[in-house]
Amino acid sequence: MKKLLNFQTYLPVLFGLGSAVLLLGAWWTVSLLTNNEIPNPVSTWAVFSEMLATPFYDYGPNDKGIGNQLFSSLIRVFSGFGAGSLLAIPLGLLIGSSKTAFRLINPIVQILRPVSPLAWFPLGLLAFKAAEGATVFIIFVTSLWPTLINTAFGVASIPQDHKNVAKAFGFSRWKYIIKVIIPYALPHIITGLRLSIGVAWMVIVAGEMLSGGVGIGFFVWDSWNALSLEKILSAILIIGTVGLLLDKGFDWLQKRFAFS
Amino acid sequence: MTSNPTIAPIDSASEFHKIQSRPASIEVKDITVSFKTPKGIFTAIKNIDLTIKKGEIVALIGHSGCGKSTLMGTISGMTAPTSGQVIANGAVVKGPGPDRGIVFQNYSLLPWLTVYKNIYEAVDSVFKGKTAAEKREIVEENLKMVTLWPHKDKLPGQLSGGMKQRVAIARAFAINPSILLLDEPFGALDALTKGSMHIELLKLWNLDNRNKTIVMVTHDIEEAIFLSDRVVVMNNGPEATIKEIVEIPLPRPRNKKEIVHDPIYMETHDKLMSLLFDKFSIEDE
Repeated sequence: MKKLLNFQTYLPVLFGLGSAVLLLGAWWTVSLLTNNEIPNPVSTWAVFSEMLATPFYDYGPNDKGIGNQLFSSLIRVFSGFGAGSLLAIPLGLLIGSSKTAFRLINPIVQILRPVSPLAWFPLGLLAFKAAEGATVFIIFVTSLWPTLINTAFGVASIPQDHKNVAKAFGFSRWKYIIKVIIPYALPHIITGLRLSIGVAWMVIVAGEMLSGGVGIGFFVWDSWNALSLEKILSAILIIGTVGLLLDKGFDWLQKRFAFS
Repeated sequence: MTSNPTIAPIDSASEFHKIQSRPASIEVKDITVSFKTPKGIFTAIKNIDLTIKKGEIVALIGHSGCGKSTLMGTISGMTAPTSGQVIANGAVVKGPGPDRGIVFQNYSLLPWLTVYKNIYEAVDSVFKGKTAAEKREIVEENLKMVTLWPHKDKLPGQLSGGMKQRVAIARAFAINPSILLLDEPFGALDALTKGSMHIELLKLWNLDNRNKTIVMVTHDIEEAIFLSDRVVVMNNGPEATIKEIVEIPLPRPRNKKEIVHDPIYMETHDKLMSLLFDKFSIEDE
């Protein structure tokens, strides 16, 4: 019995090791097949640990540590995501609670939603006269849709029971929004935010390749120009890890604000 | 409270008829409710007239889908009648109002608010003129009345069905309505909890000098007899009407255990049974 318990406890660890072996095995195979044109895990690890050893060095505009690059990207993502959410949540509340607003705004959302956020980049350049502003702008656009749609869906699905309480006890419009609509829609809103930050983190890499400057996306592009594939592979691992952490953060928030 | 003339409690069968000399609390006048459905217009209740006196307890009884909840909805103001009108406390009902407290079938507590907050928000919207301290006092008083003060910080999800219903009742009492509307309030409770809830409800009604008019929807004959002064039996829908109004001349206070042996109880019970069930045996067609 005790032995079984031990086995159960170590099972996730074993599976984790299994995935790592699988990934490294596949990577190594590809590396061998390409005659080391794709660097193998060992040579990548050498570059990776060097990058992590001095993450915040700054030798001028084109040579900064990985920590600086990552930090710049995160600032851009959170600025765009923050601004996008500030617009998407209230708009979602409106669309979800008013049929008229839904019928007016939904077609616009449906047309703009499938557009690649990068298509907005030139408009961002025009509006902000700078690549920095344009990059934040595409993240802003990216973050709008999942939050908007999830918020609207959450509000629209409020059970009749909850509406009846507000009606029966004469809740003011404000009290209805604060005490009924928002608490009910909150788990849906957080799901929207979680999806938004996920897409935003994907788009920032592409956006920074266009914009240049400091950032993890530009770092990948710059490493390609310097033909350092070890750096690219290291960056991919870092981007993946940060993406996972962002997702876990919102997952935690989701659990924190779940009711019932 | 001082503006209402105090009405002496009714404790004997002979005094029952005094209810009829009281002012009307609710007047349902020629009410018809129709709904638009994909299959056409569905008329739930048709040409219903009913007058309920102040301080009276009336049960609406009938089979599922007979329109008793619809009739209740027109009194609470949650359902707009297609024709006719309801007058509550002398004013035409145009929507829900604080003079009519509603206890819903499925409790309808907001799951993200604590027990305390669920009541406070209702009190806060109804008594806009009162100070926060006065409002808190009302919440405390009503929660203590249903003995749920120790559970004030719990969320509804942490309570049993009976406790949730007591919160819902405390919330309805807290806004101090002159009319209390209960829509199948004890339908989801087990028999034991149901029994103690009946006693609790009457206790609250007594505490208020039996001034509150109570209308309840139920499909439980024993519950209807134990609680009510009159039982309104409805026909089966669609286009449901009132089949008969049965008076319950049992003296108050009523004892749950003894009442069942009372010949009047048994007679009334039989009468309601035959009104509700035309056939007593299942026959093959």
